[in-house]
Amino acid sequence: MSQELATREEVVAAYVAANLLDDDVAFTGMVNGDATALYGSMIPLAAMGLARATHAPNLTILLAGWLVNPDLSKLTTIPDSEFMPELRDLPAEGFVPDYPQLFSIHRGEVTVGFSSGAQVDQHGNINAVVIGDHDKPDVRLLGPVFQTEHTAYFGREMVMMGRHSARNFVTHVDFISAAGFAPDGSRPAHLPGSGPAKVITPLCVFTIDPTIGRLAVESIHPGVTAEEVIAQTGFPLGDLSSVSTTPLPTREQLELLRRVVDPHGLLLGAPTQR
Amino acid sequence: MKPVGNEVHTEAHMERKEKTASLADAIRPIEDGAHVAIGGSALHSHPMALVRELIRQEKRDLVIIGEIQGIEADLLCGAGVVRRIESAGVGLERFGQARNFRRAVEAGDVSMRDFTDTMAMDRIRAAGDAMPFWPVSHLDGTDIARYLPDDLVEITCPFTGRRLQAMRPAVIDYALIHTSHADRYGNAMFPTRGLMPNGQDVTLSRAAKHTIISVEKLVDPEVIKKNAHRVHIPGFRVDSVVEAPFGAHPSSALDFYDFDSSHLEAYVESSKSPAGFSEYLSEYLGATENDYLEKVGVEALLKIRKVVTW
Repeated sequence: MSQELATREEVVAAYVAANLLDDDVAFTGMVNGDATALYGSMIPLAAMGLARATHAPNLTILLAGWLVNPDLSKLTTIPDSEFMPELRDLPAEGFVPDYPQLFSIHRGEVTVGFSSGAQVDQHGNINAVVIGDHDKPDVRLLGPVFQTEHTAYFGREMVMMGRHSARNFVTHVDFISAAGFAPDGSRPAHLPGSGPAKVITPLCVFTIDPTIGRLAVESIHPGVTAEEVIAQTGFPLGDLSSVSTTPLPTREQLELLRRVVDPHGLLLGAPTQR
Repeated sequence: MKPVGNEVHTEAHMERKEKTASLADAIRPIEDGAHVAIGGSALHSHPMALVRELIRQEKRDLVIIGEIQGIEADLLCGAGVVRRIESAGVGLERFGQARNFRRAVEAGDVSMRDFTDTMAMDRIRAAGDAMPFWPVSHLDGTDIARYLPDDLVEITCPFTGRRLQAMRPAVIDYALIHTSHADRYGNAMFPTRGLMPNGQDVTLSRAAKHTIISVEKLVDPEVIKKNAHRVHIPGFRVDSVVEAPFGAHPSSALDFYDFDSSHLEAYVESSKSPAGFSEYLSEYLGATENDYLEKVGVEALLKIRKVVTW
């Protein structure tokens, strides 16, 4: 095992882990669709586990809001359904069978959340509702689910996009189901959360400077070119020639991901593929 | 007129009212156009036997209300039973998009009121607590409010002066719920270590004018009395109770069976076209639940069955 053999998913998981803080209260739901589930749920959960095993032992995992600090290394099956009994039966530190849950959504107790959508725009707005007109849609999508609350109330949001193409990285989303920033770069005045902070894709990491309210490429993943990122993004990105490469995981991070956090390869894929 | 509470009853003996009903009789009172909240979430704990009976009785123009809808709403959309859905999302988790739902909305046959997750639950809580409205404060910067003109009115908070939306409580005529056990008086028991769909079922029942329960097994009232801590919907709030073994299939019933992956895969495949889906309906629906279960087959049912040992 060497650093060179780190998969893209491990690179992204290590990046996310490095951006989690000790004392973070971190929320992810179980989103679906192969690439969307990987980026929206599996990588965040692996990253939370890695962060807890390294620099953030006090990070709290809120899995879909109903399970607190589950021991994901004890998973025996891919967690691909929000209320599967296998999740309930994991060793954990809290469990709630009802809404409201063990924490307050509205008081800002969740400090970091993960979400995704069919479209994200240059200001970090998310669309999970329709392509086209709401009442006569070209494509009807899942719905807003809990993501409106994420970017309204959570401390900060990492938007996890399993696909990166000019079709889903657009100038303006067709329907804003979770708020990023307005066209003038401002945040909606009354929302307590600070909204999207990063948008993370299979190609790169975007960061959002909250004083500008616009996506900017922070780093490009190893093996991906700036030209690819530009071609796959539906809004201008400027000159990317001096953008850095997303760091590879350290040997220790890889070892922890593979042996401790996700020993059966249920979150990031089978170990044989790594 | 006599003052309420002053009546004197002298009948020597009356029988306690029994709530058990056949599936057909339990569903028959639901009128076309009714607002129906269906318990469960995505692929879990849906009262599918009750849902299939809505289709057999050719109900029309129903408004489906909930938090996260799945196979139950998709099936009803595919069968032409639904006029509108009011929830935070409709999907089939790892089985992908709810294709019947998607097709019906794109064709304009079904309209969607998109609530966010907490709104979808809070409007049901508001109905359950008879509140005039529920305040909503997280929609700035989104398009959600623009498409909910009948449910949201902008107001100013009388205490802070902040701009808010007042959200109208959900209107729920019937709640349909599947759980593990009930007795003939309608006292409904829930799993010892229930999940959020089970908890939310109780919230739905509080908000509904009528509650119809299906259960894996009817039990003797003595069983209920020994398990009172698990009775979360007491009989006086239940209109009827139907015994429906495997009544959540192909969704899961916690501690009884998992959702049926093979069936769901075939379902999704069939739902790729209207013709394919009408074949699914004519193949599986049958005249009764026994017809349906026979078509699904013993092998499939035994494969998903669970025997819990605690």
